[in-house]
Amino acid sequence: MRIEKCYFCSTNVYPGHGSAFVRNDAKVFRFCTSKCHKNFKMKRNPRKVRWTKAFRKAAGKEMTIDSTIDFEKRRNVPVRYDRELVQTTVKAMKRVGEIKARRERAFYKNRMAASREKQRAHRKKMLEQAKSSVTLHEPLAVEEAESINESKKIKLTVNSKHKSALVPGEGRSMGMDID
Amino acid sequence: MGRLRRSRVHNARRDVHRASRTRVRTKDLDQIQLIDLDPKNRAALEAQPIDFDKPGLAQHYCVECAKYYETDTALHSHWRSKVHKRRLKQLKEPAYTIEESERAAGLGREVRRATAVVEVAVEMVDAM
Repeated sequence: MRIEKCYFCSTNVYPGHGSAFVRNDAKVFRFCTSKCHKNFKMKRNPRKVRWTKAFRKAAGKEMTIDSTIDFEKRRNVPVRYDRELVQTTVKAMKRVGEIKARRERAFYKNRMAASREKQRAHRKKMLEQAKSSVTLHEPLAVEEAESINESKKIKLTVNSKHKSALVPGEGRSMGMDID
Repeated sequence: MGRLRRSRVHNARRDVHRASRTRVRTKDLDQIQLIDLDPKNRAALEAQPIDFDKPGLAQHYCVECAKYYETDTALHSHWRSKVHKRRLKQLKEPAYTIEESERAAGLGREVRRATAVVEVAVEMVDAM
């Protein structure tokens, strides 16, 4: 049994799933879904379609050079079953997965830190543009309106430490705080 | 909108499904780039023997577009066309292959070494 990779989006294709296309030079193209197959038939380049793994790697959105990526390989040499070997392999897979996840998170944080600066600068620029395009007029002074406004002044206190249920807490809880 | 409505609502999409049948499949970009554009193969493709089934007896072939033309003038005017130039641009960047799709998924190909060393690195130090 072998888990293949989709030609278009590079996800896993498990046995009995997806479809395959065999070109007349005996190259086998595997597809996870009909969506990927259709995109292939349209002769789209996966490197230019934003939801594919190939795009994300090519555009520097994911790690490309890392030692944790080099473990998964297509090995065409049969290995005699060995209990010890399987045990260590499973252990190693778990450990590598952990390390990979941590590195991916670090990579993402790094990437976002760079983009945040850019976004902030862009926002500032847009604000300046908006300010320069609008001319402000002084409001007409009406005594009555002012008096109404003053009487209605109520200080509102907004609890800024409001916790969102979507953001996991320190103990990875889903916002179920115990007092 | 009057009579324009009809012509604008319907795109000339009748033959999309026909064009995507396997029997009308043309050569893919990776086939052209990796095989046909090789100088040796290219020379063979450009000087094909007379074939009565092919357009123009297979004498006027554009290698980049993988297409036969009827006459030499047709081939030359094709070379000056937008379609051909677009194809040249597409062929400039490396074609997408099955290997690349596997690499993107993190599946590598094992390089055969002289001595097969089976070692699993459990104690990997994370450099963070």
